[in-house]
Amino acid sequence: MNVSKDIKPGEVLLELEEIQMFFGKVCALNGVSTKIKKGEIHSVIGPNGAGKTVMMNCISGLYHPQKGNIYYKGEKINGLKPHNRAKLGIARTFQKVEVFGGMTVLDNIRLGRHIHYNSGIISGSLYMGKTGKEEIEHRKFIEEEIIDLLEIEHIRHKPVGMLPYGLQKRVELGRAIALEPELLLLDEPLAGLNLEEVEDMARFILDVNQEERWKVTCILVEHDMGVVMDLSDNVFVLNFGNMIVDGTPEEVQGNPEVVRAYLGEEDLYATRR
Amino acid sequence: MSTTFLPCGVYHENYKQDHAWWQTKFIKSKMFLLFITLFFIIPWMSDSYSLSICNQIGYTILGALGVQLLIGFCGQVTLGHAAFLAVGAYVSTLLVLEFPWPAVFIELGLAYPISIFIAAITAGLWSVLFGLPSARVKGFYLILTTMAAQFITVDFIITQYVSQIGGRGQAFSLPLGTIKVGPWAWGVIDSDIKIYYMMIVLTIICVVGVVNLLRSRVGRAWVAIRDNDISAEVMGIDIIKYKLLAFFVAGFIGGIAGAVWISNLAAISPEHFPWFWSLWLVGVILIGGVGSIHGTIFGSIFMVVVMELLQMAVMPLADTYPKLLMDFLFIKEAAFGLAICAFLIFEPNGLAYRWWQAKNYFNLWPFSY
Repeated sequence: MNVSKDIKPGEVLLELEEIQMFFGKVCALNGVSTKIKKGEIHSVIGPNGAGKTVMMNCISGLYHPQKGNIYYKGEKINGLKPHNRAKLGIARTFQKVEVFGGMTVLDNIRLGRHIHYNSGIISGSLYMGKTGKEEIEHRKFIEEEIIDLLEIEHIRHKPVGMLPYGLQKRVELGRAIALEPELLLLDEPLAGLNLEEVEDMARFILDVNQEERWKVTCILVEHDMGVVMDLSDNVFVLNFGNMIVDGTPEEVQGNPEVVRAYLGEEDLYATRR
Repeated sequence: MSTTFLPCGVYHENYKQDHAWWQTKFIKSKMFLLFITLFFIIPWMSDSYSLSICNQIGYTILGALGVQLLIGFCGQVTLGHAAFLAVGAYVSTLLVLEFPWPAVFIELGLAYPISIFIAAITAGLWSVLFGLPSARVKGFYLILTTMAAQFITVDFIITQYVSQIGGRGQAFSLPLGTIKVGPWAWGVIDSDIKIYYMMIVLTIICVVGVVNLLRSRVGRAWVAIRDNDISAEVMGIDIIKYKLLAFFVAGFIGGIAGAVWISNLAAISPEHFPWFWSLWLVGVILIGGVGSIHGTIFGSIFMVVVMELLQMAVMPLADTYPKLLMDFLFIKEAAFGLAICAFLIFEPNGLAYRWWQAKNYFNLWPFSY
């Protein structure tokens, strides 16, 4: 599928239409619909088990919902495999860091640019001409745009598996933006970080979202309400697979149902038990 | 593990220098010495016996390289690699013996080189066939499907059907002079030293090719699949395609190994490619270090040399204990098992890690902190 339309800021980049996802008889997502506009940070919040990560997996193609459609730039991408969705410009990070532990930081980020490399098996094994030139070009991009942005110069040759958790998260973000995505799915980028790292990470997310160079639309799954309310343009609240509200942070904060979902309600809880 | 330290005062001014193979003059001169040793000193110093050991090492390196690529770099555990060596060897033999080559090809000595190439391609494709299950299964289950490759290929197809071609019986004999490279009279591969040169050139080409692949797009995709296949897929890697590509390259190198090895044999039979040999190649990379090209080479040298030393140690005792001679095959297998156990317990990262440690010790000396 060829989706190369240019979408202007403010237009709908990704649309979910009545997504339903079941695991056996457990309903993980129940008719979820939303529109993500280009240029915004759209947060998804909800209590544990609300279906936030399932929603991310549906968008990135790891899960295929039983019902409903996903439109990216107006094109239906339901049946597309994850690697083809990456080629369309959808990148993601994971809740539990899923970096390539045995590779260096530089190689992880290079791998993020996989879809931009061209060399195949023969030119790769000769490593002459095209491949060598291409490697240098991409190295330049990685050093100047990504490593510089994320401030990871000092660890670029270290194997990622040996780095502390906070830096691994940062490398994972670097790997995702190396793909030069238009849509970035951030699945709990702040989980398990200390205060300083949270502040850094929030700054990087804002940079990636707002800098003229990047202008990446983000979908952010997060539990840290302070960060969510500060960063997001729109917030989407899920509870047990149902959408509660989709609106600006102010609307969400004022919504009694959201408060109920987070603080718990005896009746609803009882039916689930 | 892959990080090495540059000596003081060496700075890179551009990315090209940083991507270079050999980054300092010291390393370059070291590699030059190695080159001289391999191409001149070893052939000059060695007798036929030690050259044949070198050839065996080369064969083991070529075989283990494919296994290393699959297990160490792509994470696809394989226990049937001897099948692809067998495919390479048999395709090459059949082409040399049975194919109606035009006289020009025979005169110019092209038949054997071409047959090596075709054998490599065939073995690669054959390997892809048995790599197909890797699209669905991982780990233990994949081990079983690759073992199937061994039994189907060697024990069934080759023993039952391929060996019948030409009505020669079980073994295909390779008369002297059939293996010929180039139009010159000395192109007939009939001595250990010629096999040695052929082996070393092909080994170097394969090792260089694989190392280059590993530092370019394809190799990174393989390592990514090994480390984390789900996130590799999300980053835009078609994991099935790359897994099959890894099987192809591994089979290709295996095919080369098999095809070259026939130059060392007077006759070729299915017994040259037992299942134990597949296991042996996995042992080689376990001892050398999984996920390291150095490891493949060190492991091969270690295994071949240790087994030869063992033989030397056992033979003098054979006069007093004749049973030892009879049981040598089993002693060899026991030593193999023991070596693997010892390495897994005491040095799970293999010889390559020890090499890296030693190198760093000297690089950092005297301030190793």
